[in-house]
Amino acid sequence: MNLLILRRKLFDVVMIALSLGATAFTLFWLAWILWTTITQGASALRLTIFTQMTPPPGSDGGLLNAFFGSFMMVLLGVVVATPIGVLAAIYLAEYKRGTRVAAVIGFVNDILLSAPSIVIGLFIYELLVLPFGHFSGYAGGVALAMIMLPIVVRSSAVALELVPPETREAALALGLPRWKVTLSVIARAARPGIITGLLLGVARISGETAPLLFTALNNQYWNANLGAPMANIPVVIFQYAMSPYDNWHALAWAGAFIVMLFVLMLGIVTRVVFRQGARA
Amino acid sequence: MNALAPASTTAAAKIQVRDLRFFYGARESLKNISIDFLEHQITAIIGPSGCGKSTLLRALNRIYDLYPGQRAEGEVLLNGENILSPGVNVAYVRRRVGMVFQKPTPFPLSIRDNITFALGHFERLSKPDMADRVEEALRQAALWDEVKDVLGRSALSLSGGQQQRLSIARTLAIRPQVILLDEPTSALDPLSTNKIEELLDKLVRQFTVIIVTHNLQQAARASQRTVFMYDGEIVEAGVTEEMFMSPRERRTADYISGRFG
Repeated sequence: MNLLILRRKLFDVVMIALSLGATAFTLFWLAWILWTTITQGASALRLTIFTQMTPPPGSDGGLLNAFFGSFMMVLLGVVVATPIGVLAAIYLAEYKRGTRVAAVIGFVNDILLSAPSIVIGLFIYELLVLPFGHFSGYAGGVALAMIMLPIVVRSSAVALELVPPETREAALALGLPRWKVTLSVIARAARPGIITGLLLGVARISGETAPLLFTALNNQYWNANLGAPMANIPVVIFQYAMSPYDNWHALAWAGAFIVMLFVLMLGIVTRVVFRQGARA
Repeated sequence: MNALAPASTTAAAKIQVRDLRFFYGARESLKNISIDFLEHQITAIIGPSGCGKSTLLRALNRIYDLYPGQRAEGEVLLNGENILSPGVNVAYVRRRVGMVFQKPTPFPLSIRDNITFALGHFERLSKPDMADRVEEALRQAALWDEVKDVLGRSALSLSGGQQQRLSIARTLAIRPQVILLDEPTSALDPLSTNKIEELLDKLVRQFTVIIVTHNLQQAARASQRTVFMYDGEIVEAGVTEEMFMSPRERRTADYISGRFG
């Protein structure tokens, strides 16, 4: 009897040790990555990063054009993906909930959600780069939108489905038309969840490299024209990190550091938004 | 009480249910229900869980329309017009037949906007008129004194009892003819329950009230007529006092004396 208890206790201790070990293993790599990025990135930070363009080999410069390009293309991605994604989610969650159509579309959406981003990059390359004969910011923004879209659809649909059915019934029981109930009550109640999904989508696309490599490519100069190739942080990091020049390496680290900070900040904002929504 | 007896015999039928059958998919949960709900009376629907009393209520404003697997057969006549006909304007039916649910259902808007939201959709009102209607509805729902200084605050900040009275105020604001209440006090404390019962007593002068309740004391206290349902059928319906004092059916007697349910 005593032996049995002892054996169980031992088993318990071993299992806890194993799961603790697995957690530590995971966190170790994460901490290492963060630490390297912070030390290397922070030491490479200087004001000129935000005021000068990406330099040719051997001279000094900054990342201004890349930041601007990233900002423009992420903005384009958000502007395209948000309305389409939220409307699609409303269709799935409000009008077709529980139907076969919704299940099939939801499944396809999930496939798109986990599609390799390089495939999406190639797809947009075929669609928006080849026919025009040149890379462009538009193609980059659309590629980012394609990656963000399924995230918005999924998270918005979940947020809408979490609205209590009584709320929907109560609004309809007042004799209001369905569209008014959906837009003014249901979407409103789901707003914190929808915004959370949008922020997560932005965080995801602001670090995407592969789809931009085939669409926006890069641009060494200042360019505010979305119709032309555009510099952007992920591709610059990729290109500079692979280069043999030390000052390019430093810029790549600085870029990585700032993207990381940005995503971290988005994560914090997301939590605040969601918590406020839960409290409201 | 003696004022009640003539009223219950001469009052006009506001809603007439004729041979109503209701299906959740293939399962028939109402079997040939026929009943009149009289104008300016509170009718309580009682019965054990799953007997179909909420289903009956939900057929009276077609809220079940929301769910593809649910359908009703037969007739529900509101002022003589069959609201189950395919061509009927469902939104207009619901505007006349308001509904209050078991759980309070405040919209994630301010207290004021909870009321103006539907009202503004139906009626073009000036700002002062709108403010008057908000006050009127909140007074009718006995909530005005508690919220008059915080109308801009989120409705979600109210207590459960206050939220339920806000839900009632919201329904009253659009001036329906009939108010359906589905166990409106089962999630509330006795004090709030009391307030809502007093409220019903006042409302019935203007509206026709139908209330589903698990609480037999509530049915006995608050209603003029009672309908007892069992297994998708109406076992007995009549004047509340008579039914509680001398039920005609044995199942009714068993239920109200607490032998089952």
